Amino acid sequence: MSSSPTDVLVDVTMPQMGVSVAEGTVVEWKKQAGDWVERDEIIASISTDKIDTDVEAPASGRVREILVEVGTTVEVGVVLARIATDAKPGEPHASEGDASADGTSEADVALDAPGGAGDLSGDTEATHAGTAQRGSPEVRRSGPRRYSPVVMRIAAEHGIDLEKVEGTGRGGRVRKPDVLAYIESGGNGGAAEEPPMHIESPYKPDAPTERKPRPSRIGRAEPAPAATAGQGRPLSRMRQSIGRAMIESLQTAATCTTIIEADMTGIAGDREKTGLTWLPYVARATVEALREFPSLNATLEGETFTEYDAVHLGIAVSLGDGGLIVPVIRDAQDLSIEGLGKAIKALARRARDGELTPDDVRGGTFTITNPGGYGSIMATPVINQPQVAILDTEAVVKRPVVLSDDRGNDSIAIRHMTYLCMSWDHRALDGALAAQFLAALRKRLEWWN
Amino acid sequence: MPTMTYLQAISDAMREEMRSDERVFVMGEDIGTFGGAFKVTDGFIDEFGPQRVMDTPLAESAIIGCAIGAACEGLRPIAEMQFSDFVSCGFDQLVNVAGKMYYRQGLSVNITVRLPSGGGFSGGPFHSQNPEGWFMHSPGLKVVAPSTAEDAKGLLISAVHDPNPVVFMEHKHLYRRVKGDVAEGTYETPFSARTAREGEDLTVIAYGAMVHTALEATEDLDGASIEVLDLRSLVPLDEEAILASVRKTSKVVIVDEANATCAAGAQVAALIAERGWEDLDGPVVRVSTPDVPIPFSPTLEQAVLPQVDDVKEACRELLAY
Repeated sequence: MSSSPTDVLVDVTMPQMGVSVAEGTVVEWKKQAGDWVERDEIIASISTDKIDTDVEAPASGRVREILVEVGTTVEVGVVLARIATDAKPGEPHASEGDASADGTSEADVALDAPGGAGDLSGDTEATHAGTAQRGSPEVRRSGPRRYSPVVMRIAAEHGIDLEKVEGTGRGGRVRKPDVLAYIESGGNGGAAEEPPMHIESPYKPDAPTERKPRPSRIGRAEPAPAATAGQGRPLSRMRQSIGRAMIESLQTAATCTTIIEADMTGIAGDREKTGLTWLPYVARATVEALREFPSLNATLEGETFTEYDAVHLGIAVSLGDGGLIVPVIRDAQDLSIEGLGKAIKALARRARDGELTPDDVRGGTFTITNPGGYGSIMATPVINQPQVAILDTEAVVKRPVVLSDDRGNDSIAIRHMTYLCMSWDHRALDGALAAQFLAALRKRLEWWN
Repeated sequence: MPTMTYLQAISDAMREEMRSDERVFVMGEDIGTFGGAFKVTDGFIDEFGPQRVMDTPLAESAIIGCAIGAACEGLRPIAEMQFSDFVSCGFDQLVNVAGKMYYRQGLSVNITVRLPSGGGFSGGPFHSQNPEGWFMHSPGLKVVAPSTAEDAKGLLISAVHDPNPVVFMEHKHLYRRVKGDVAEGTYETPFSARTAREGEDLTVIAYGAMVHTALEATEDLDGASIEVLDLRSLVPLDEEAILASVRKTSKVVIVDEANATCAAGAQVAALIAERGWEDLDGPVVRVSTPDVPIPFSPTLEQAVLPQVDDVKEACRELLAY
C-alpha cells in the first residue's frame, strides 16, 4: 500500500536477543495491517533456535504494513512491520481514505448519498418484495461510488485509487474481478509496494501463509470426547527442538550412566537452619568436585576436547507440559550455597515467565537435572551437548542403612539417602573417572558442616 | 465398489455396525417385521433378531429416553423417528436429557437418532419438514445431513462411533433418487464440509437434497464457474471451509430447504457477515423456504420449496452485481 505524505512511520525490527542470536522466525502476528497498537503492546511472537519471545511495539500508532510473513526467518535488525504514529485510534487508516479521491471516509459517503437512510430502507423492502426470502441485490445507481468490502481491501493492499478503476458490475459498480484486472494490467503504475524478499535463510516457512481470518466469537459447550481413539496434534516448537537435541546427543555421545548412593543426613540437619532446598547443596558440592576433576567440566566437539576453569552450571527447569529449558549459572564457583539457591530460584522463575534471553541458556559446562521432587529414585539423563556429563539428583528418602563405627561395630540407623546418577560421554572419559568424581561428590555431601 | 441408493447406503451402514459391534442395536416404530415405513431396516429382524431390532410403541419420547438409558449403560442405540416431524414428541428427551447429559453429569450419550426429513413428494405439513435448526440451537447435539449415498453411509457410521448424541437428517426425497458408488465394509466420513464442485466466480452453499438442486442449477449457468459446498455437518459447522470458499469467490448464495428463519443457512450467513466481511464482493443471498407450513398441494409445494430455477435466478442476479 502507498504511504500518504503525512505519514510518520516507525519501524518494528527483529530484536537482538543476546550476542549469540543472529536471526529469528516470525511465529505469529498479534496485529494486522490497519490495527491500532499501543506502545509496548505485543505485536508479534518470534522464535529463535534458543527461545520463543514476543516483540513489542516501539510506538503507539496504526500498523501500516507487515513486511515479514509468519514462518519467515530473517536476520536481527530486519524491519518486520511499520507503524504509522500520526494515526489516531478509532479513525480509519489512511488507506481507507484512499478509496475516495477527496479523502472522505466511507461513512461520509454513505451520509452524502441521495436519499440517505430512507434510501436504505427502500432498498430492504425492494429486496424482500415478490418472492419471500429470495431477494435480489438491489443496486444504487446514483451518487458517489460505493465499494464492496473485498474491493476496498484489495485496493488498500495494493494502494489503488478506485476512482480510476472501470466497473463492469450493475450501474458501473467496481467488482472484485475489475480491481484484480486493473492490478494485472499494471494500472496502478507500479505504485504498489511489493513486500521485500526476506534475506536468504536456511529455514523454510512452516506453511503457506494467508490473511488470518477473524476468530469465531461463539462459545461452545465441549462435546463428550471419544472413549478410545486418540487425537493427533502437532508437536510444539519447543518439543520439536528438545527432541532434535536429545536424539542428536544420543547419536553423538557414547552415553554411560554411573550411580552412587549418598547419605544426606548431615545436610538434612543444615537445611532446617537455612531453609534451602536440596539442590543448592548438591550444586555447591558439584561445583567443588568439578574443580577437583576439571575433565568433567568440559565440552567435546568433534575431536576437540576443552576443559574449563570456570564452572558455568546448567540447571534443567521444567516448564510443565510446555517442555524443559536449561538456563546457565555463570561462574558458579564464585557463589555460596545461599547465592546458588537465589540464582536457581531466579532462573526458574524467569524460565517459567518466559523471560530468559538466549544468552541465559548458552555456554554451560556441566548440567544438573533435578526431577527427584516427584519421588523418583533413579534415572539415566541425556547429556546436554557438547558437555561431557550431566548429573541427575533424585528423591532423598529415609532408609535403614548399616553404619560402622571406628572399631568396626555395625548398627542399623535411619538415614536420609539418595542416588546420584551421572550420565557421561565414554568418548571423553572412562568409568573409573566418573566413579571417582561421584565419590568426591558424595564425600562433600556426607561430610557437610 | 457396489452401487447403492442413498437408502441402501443407510441400511448398509447400520448392518455393518450391527455385525461388527454387538453394542449397536436399532429401535423404532414398525422397523421390525414391517422393515420400517421406508424399508430402511428391511430384513434386519431376520438377521439380528427382535432383541436388536426393537419394534416400539408410537411414543417418540419413550424411544429416545430408552435409547439414552441404553447408551448410559454402554450400548450404542440407533433410534428411528418414522418421520422427522414426529421428533417433536421426543423433544424433551433429546434436547434436555440427551443434549445436556455430558455437561451435567459427564456421561456420554452415544445415541444416533435418524430423522427422515424433507419434502417434495406432497407429504403435507406433518411429513415434510426440515427440523435441523431446532437441534442446531440446542447445545450438546451434533447434527449431520448427507447428500450422497457414500456420505450417508460414512456419516451414519461416524455418528454411531461418536460419543455424543447425533441427529442424523436423512432426506426422504433422496432415498431412491440418489445412487452412487459406496465402499464395502466400515469407513467414517468426517463431520466436515465437502466441495461438491470447484469454482471461482460464486459459491453456492447447501446440504442434503439442496446440494443436488444447487448442482443442477449451476451446472451450466452462462459459462460461470460456480463452486458448490456441501456442508454435510451442521453441528459442528465447518466454518473454515465456508470462509475459505468465500475468500476464493467473494460471492455466496446459501440454499436451504428449511423455513428461512433461524435455519442452518441463517447461521452460515451470520458467520460470513461476521468473519468473512472483508472477502465479500456482494450481499450474501439466501434461497430458502418461506416461514409457512409445507403445503400438501403439489403445485403449492413446488412454489414454496426452493427449485432449480430459483437458485439459477439468485446466482445470475449475484453474478451480475
